[in-house]
Amino acid sequence: MNLEVKGPKVYLELPFELPDSSIFTMKNLITQTTVSLLAVTVLLIVVALIATRSLSKRPGGLQVITEKLVNMLYGLVEGTMGKHNMKFAPYIGTIFLSSICGTLIGMTQLFRSTTADLSVTAAWALVTTGMVWYNNIKNFGFGTWLKGFTEPIVVMTPMNIVSEIANPISMAFRHFGNVAGGSVLTALIYGALTAASSALFSWLPGIIGEIPFLTAGIPAALSIYFDLFSGFVQALVFSLLTMIYVGGACPPPEELPKKKKKGVK
Amino acid sequence: MGLLTIIEKFENFVGVNFWTMIFAWINLLILYIILKKILFKPIKNMIDSRQREIDDMYKSAGDSERCAKELQAEYEEKMSRAKDESEEIVRSAVRRAQLKEEEILREANDKAARALERAEEQIELEKKRAVNEMKDQVSAIALDIASAVIGRDVSERDHEELINEFIENMGNDK
Repeated sequence: MNLEVKGPKVYLELPFELPDSSIFTMKNLITQTTVSLLAVTVLLIVVALIATRSLSKRPGGLQVITEKLVNMLYGLVEGTMGKHNMKFAPYIGTIFLSSICGTLIGMTQLFRSTTADLSVTAAWALVTTGMVWYNNIKNFGFGTWLKGFTEPIVVMTPMNIVSEIANPISMAFRHFGNVAGGSVLTALIYGALTAASSALFSWLPGIIGEIPFLTAGIPAALSIYFDLFSGFVQALVFSLLTMIYVGGACPPPEELPKKKKKGVK
Repeated sequence: MGLLTIIEKFENFVGVNFWTMIFAWINLLILYIILKKILFKPIKNMIDSRQREIDDMYKSAGDSERCAKELQAEYEEKMSRAKDESEEIVRSAVRRAQLKEEEILREANDKAARALERAEEQIELEKKRAVNEMKDQVSAIALDIASAVIGRDVSERDHEELINEFIENMGNDK
């Protein structure tokens, strides 16, 4: 049997001359991932609307759950980034929900996981890096930020620069690799079980011999780990890394340089 | 046939699509704005306002409790004071009543004594008067009898003295 590992299906191609290499393309306008992204957005907005439909001081069951989750998010942001960085909580919540829903939407088999596309995780990782750089420059000044690369000693500069560039790449590939790897593994196991099934039961007469009995149940159990658990963990890891990096760029007000502090006042 | 080839085309497994990135950013931005507006902000505000309300309630409950305790202490103090006062009142009333009783008794005794004294005086007076009257009459009668019996003049003055002496002796013997 042959097993192909493919990227997202392309639905609409642009009819112009655009860069189109194997690692970077501008030619495919709409792909499976685009549709999935839209589905996730619509789904999350609908769920949010339902969850906040009738807010009251005395909450019903749904509101209790929503409040618990939002409270957990704010608690996590407060614990990781500090009380002064609570303004980032909605973004962290958004990236977490986008990530986990983007991963889990692949289990429906109607859509392809958005996070199984490097473009998406790379885009998110670049947002994190952008936030880190913006906040570093805003809080410490451009000069201090650049000077930070030469610390602790000047010789470290190239390594610091590399690590700064490696951050978004590693974040993007970590998330993408886990989710895509999970789907590849599931496909592999599916193929292997189908082959094993046909080898074991091919002696059965007629159409019964062609039913892949072994593929029932086992992939589902594995999917719980590779899709559900891994999807949750990766969403958490991505959000945590974003919090840590951005939190590092936004120290508490009392630790900011004095000149900047005066300027703020 | 051209359509079919487009549908069958797949992207590279590990690759970056510029447009997908743009879409991812747009979706993230839209989700961020909308979720912040309809989910995170309202829920957080709800939690915070409820927390504030609960804090206020606890605070006011504490205030009320403190107030109630103060009132209770005040009442208890008042009650104990009232008890003391009532005891004092009863005590003084009893004392006053005793004084009054004694006074009344004394007055009654005095009155009785005075009445007795007066009565004795009266009796004495009456007795004296009666005695005097009797003396007069007896002496007059005796004189008359004596005059009648003897028929001769008896010295009035001598006899009077005699009789007086006799009657006085009689009264004293009694």
